Amino acid sequence: MNLFRSEEHARRWSQFNPASEEGFIALPDLVAFFGTETRQHMLDADYLSAWYPKRGAERRAVLERIGKTSPFWLGTPAPA
Amino acid sequence: MAEPHLLDRMFTALMHGIVETGRAPHYAELAPRLGLTVEDSRRLLLDVMQTYPIGWLHPETDYVASFPPLNNLPTQYRVTVRGEQKWFAQCGFEATSVTWLFPGATVRIEAPCLDCGEPIRIEMRDGRLMAVDPPGIVGHLNYGFGPSRGRPPYL
Repeated sequence: MNLFRSEEHARRWSQFNPASEEGFIALPDLVAFFGTETRQHMLDADYLSAWYPKRGAERRAVLERIGKTSPFWLGTPAPA
Repeated sequence: MAEPHLLDRMFTALMHGIVETGRAPHYAELAPRLGLTVEDSRRLLLDVMQTYPIGWLHPETDYVASFPPLNNLPTQYRVTVRGEQKWFAQCGFEATSVTWLFPGATVRIEAPCLDCGEPIRIEMRDGRLMAVDPPGIVGHLNYGFGPSRGRPPYL
């Protein structure tokens, strides 16, 4: 999960996975993905018990909103 | 598995510790503060890491390697706050979440591009992008999340 100067730079990376063409995400989308409400409570005394369990649903909602609904992004098994 | 309030206390001590000093405190350091024996503190750490599996211990040790969004083990994602560079982000994605650990402060993320070594720089404050250089910076997930990965965690 890396940042690159551009998509072209990522494709030239020696360890670029050719099956990861759908793995690009625009920076504003990434900021939304990693800036959901639970993330804003990481310093709270009850983060682990009260906020962290909500993280998965939030992530999925953001991914759906930005159109990343494939197994690659949702973490679901690929269709057989 | 430990009680939720104990897990919360250990988690909070680790997160506040790494935010304040740039490194996650060792369980033995935390034991007196948590009112635990050293061994109970170690076991509580293991429970926390099991509950928070996006972080991890260094293999075959009880040393915290990664406690996202920050990392105890240096990565290429250097984090600077108020002129001090003493933190590292777990990865490029988690780097965009570090802003929430420093409310009201400008958080600068700097990393060399893995392709060319040229700099990447992002500044954020309270979740907002303040500066992006170069403007075309993108995130890239090299292996899918979850079972679609087909391989162990890889950054």
